[in-house]
Amino acid sequence: MLTRRNTFKVAAGVAATATLGVASGAHAATVVKVGIDASLTGADAAAALRVVDGAIMAFDEANQLNTVPGVTFAYEKFDDGTATAGQYDPAQGAINARKMVSDPSILAAVGPEMSGVGKAMSPILSAGGLITITPSSTNPDITDPKFASIYRPADNHAPVYFRTVTTDAYQGPNMANFFAETLKAKKIFILDDSGAYGVGIANAFEGQAKKKGIQVLGHEKLDPKNPDYTAILTKIKSLSPDSLYYGGVTQAGAKLAKQSYDIIPRVMKGGGDGIQGADFLTAGGFPAVEGWYCTIAGPHLAGTDAVAAFTQRYITRFKIVPDDYAITSYDAASVIVAAVKQLAAEKKPITRASIRSTLLTITVPTLQGPVAFDANGDIKSRIVSVFKIERDAKKAVNDESQYVYIGQAPQA
Amino acid sequence: MTGFDLFVQQTINGLTLGAMYSLLALGFTMVYGILELINFAHFSVFMVGTFVAMGALQSMGIMGQSVILTGLPLVGVLLVALAATMTVCGCIGMGIERFFLRRLRSVKGPAQMITTIGISYILSNSVLLFIGGQGFNFPNPIPMLKYHIGGAVMDVRQPLIWAISAVLMIGLTYFVQSTKLGKAMRATAQDPEAARMMGVDVDRVVLTAFFLGSAMAGAAAVVFGLYYNYTNFYIGFDAGLRAFTAAVLGGIGNVPGAMLGGLLIGIIETMTSQFISTNWAEVVIFSILILVLVFRPAGLLGRVAPNKS
Repeated sequence: MLTRRNTFKVAAGVAATATLGVASGAHAATVVKVGIDASLTGADAAAALRVVDGAIMAFDEANQLNTVPGVTFAYEKFDDGTATAGQYDPAQGAINARKMVSDPSILAAVGPEMSGVGKAMSPILSAGGLITITPSSTNPDITDPKFASIYRPADNHAPVYFRTVTTDAYQGPNMANFFAETLKAKKIFILDDSGAYGVGIANAFEGQAKKKGIQVLGHEKLDPKNPDYTAILTKIKSLSPDSLYYGGVTQAGAKLAKQSYDIIPRVMKGGGDGIQGADFLTAGGFPAVEGWYCTIAGPHLAGTDAVAAFTQRYITRFKIVPDDYAITSYDAASVIVAAVKQLAAEKKPITRASIRSTLLTITVPTLQGPVAFDANGDIKSRIVSVFKIERDAKKAVNDESQYVYIGQAPQA
Repeated sequence: MTGFDLFVQQTINGLTLGAMYSLLALGFTMVYGILELINFAHFSVFMVGTFVAMGALQSMGIMGQSVILTGLPLVGVLLVALAATMTVCGCIGMGIERFFLRRLRSVKGPAQMITTIGISYILSNSVLLFIGGQGFNFPNPIPMLKYHIGGAVMDVRQPLIWAISAVLMIGLTYFVQSTKLGKAMRATAQDPEAARMMGVDVDRVVLTAFFLGSAMAGAAAVVFGLYYNYTNFYIGFDAGLRAFTAAVLGGIGNVPGAMLGGLLIGIIETMTSQFISTNWAEVVIFSILILVLVFRPAGLLGRVAPNKS
C-alpha cells in the first residue's frame, strides 16, 4: 500500500510528467526514463543479468538509431534480490516499486523477473499508474481478473502488469500434457519451493495432470533455504513414482537435482522455467542435472537463426550468450519503444497513462513475432517450449546449449 | 520398501544430518560454556568453511563430480581438505574473538551478541560480494558406492561422515576432560575470576575455545560439502539455526549434550518428513524444543557450569 505522503508524491509526479509530456511535442530532447527490475543478487543472478542486459540493449539501440525522433530513452536498474533472502525478495520488490512510482521521470518499467516480486510490485504500480512489462514472471494470478482488486486496485482495475511471455496457467498444464502424452508418465510426485511462482505452476501442473489421468502420489513444499531434502526424497522413493515435477526456482532446484540423483536416479524429472538457465547447470552440476526436462513460457529462439543478428550484437556488447528471457526482455523494451514511437508520431503527450492505453491497442513486431496484449495485459500467444538437459562435454557446463530443445508442449 | 525399511532409511538419513548438526552445535556450546555468549558468527564461519573446502579441493584438481579417487589419494585429499578448512575456520574464529569480542568482554548486556550477528552478516555478504550469489557445485571425489541394508540404501559417504564426526567429537571430549588446557577451560567456565587467580590465562582459554569451536564448524563444512555437493553464501543460516537449537536441546555448554541434541534433531527432522510432511519439520523440532525447555530448562543433559552465578 502507498502511504498518504507517497500517494501525494505520485499524484504530483504524474501531473509533472503530464506537463512535461505536453511540452515535449515542441522541444527536441524529451527523456523517457524506464525502470528495469530483476533479481540481480542471489541464486538467480546469472539469469537476471541476461534479462537486464536484454532491456538495456533495446533502449540503447533505440537511442543510437534515433528510432523515436526527439526522444531519448534512459533507464535505471533496480535489484530485488537481497542477501538475507539469498534470492528474489518480494519486500525489496515493493521498495523498488515505490521508488519507481515516486520518481516522476519514470514513465514505464521492464520487469520484474520473478512472480513473487511481481505480486508485491503490481498493486503499488497500479496505484502509481505505472505500467511494467515482465519478460519472465509467469504466475497467472497477477493478471487474472479474479484478483484484479488485489493486484491492480486503482484506475478501475485497468491492467498495469503486461507480459511478453505466457503464464503458468499454460506453462504448467502444457507440461502436464507433455508428461502424459510424450513421456507416458503414470504416477507422479509433485514438489514446489513454497514461492508464488513455484506453488502456482505446481498447482496448475497438478490440475491438468489429474485430468490427463496421471496418478498424483503427493504434493509437498520444500523450504528453499533448507540444505537437506533427503528425507522427503526417501519418502518419494518409497511411493515408487515414475516421474517427479518440481515447481520452483534454482535455490531449491539445484539441491533437489543433486539429492534426487542420489536417491531416485531413474525417475523422470521435470520443472518449469525456474530451472531453465545457467544457474541451475552451474549449481546442480553434471551428472545430477542430466535428463531433467524444463520449459519456458514462450517460443524458443535463443541460438536459432531467427535471432542471429540480435545474438551477435548481444554477445559483442555483454560477452555473455543471451537466453530466451534475454530475448523476451529485449522484446518487452521494444514494445515500450514502439508505444512511445506511436505516441510521438501522433504528437500525443508521452505520459504513464498514454503509454498504458497505447499498449492495449498496439501490435509490435518483435524478435518472437508480433506481440499483442489482451485486456488483462497477458500476451496473446500461448506457446510453451520444452527442453531436456543433455550433456555436451565439448561445451562449458553452464552453456545454454546444454538445454536441448525438444519442441512445443501440447497446448492445454 | 516396507515400513521398517523406511524407518531404517530415515534413521540413516537422520543420523547423517544429525552428525553435521552436532559438529556445528559444538562450536556454540564451547563458546557459550565459557563466555555465556551465543556466537551467531558461527553460522557464517561454517558457510565460509564450505568455500574454503571447495577451494582446497579444486586446487588439488578436483572439479565437480568428474574426478573420482580411491584408496590413499582419496584419504590424503580428504585429510588435506579437512586440515586446511579447520585451520582457516579456527583462525577466523580466533580473529573474531581477538579483534572484536575481547574488546567488548567487559561490556555488560547484549553488545557482544549483537556484534556476532553483525560479523555473521559481514562474512556472508563478503562472500556474496567477492565470490557471488549463485549456488556452487561442491567437488566430490568420493566414489558412489551404495550398500543395501534390507530395503534401505546407505551411501558410502554416510558412514564416512559418522566416522569423521565421531573421531572429532571423541577427540574434543578427551581434550576438554583430560588435558591441562581443557581443565583450564572448564575452570574458566565455572568461575573466570577464581581461574585467573589460580594462574589460568583466561584470554588464552577463550581464544582456544573459539579456535576449537570454529575448527569444528570447518569440519562440519567439509562434511556438508561432500554430502550435498552444494554450497551458497546463505547456507549457514538454516543449518546454523538448527545446530543452535541442538545445542540448547542438549543443554547449552554441555559437549555430549550438543552431540545428543544434534542427532535427535536430525532424526526428528527426517521422521517428520516421512510420517507427517516436510512442511511440518520445523514446527515439530521447535515444539519439542519448547516442551523440553519447559520441563527441563537446562536442556536434556543439563548445563556444565551449574555453580556459575
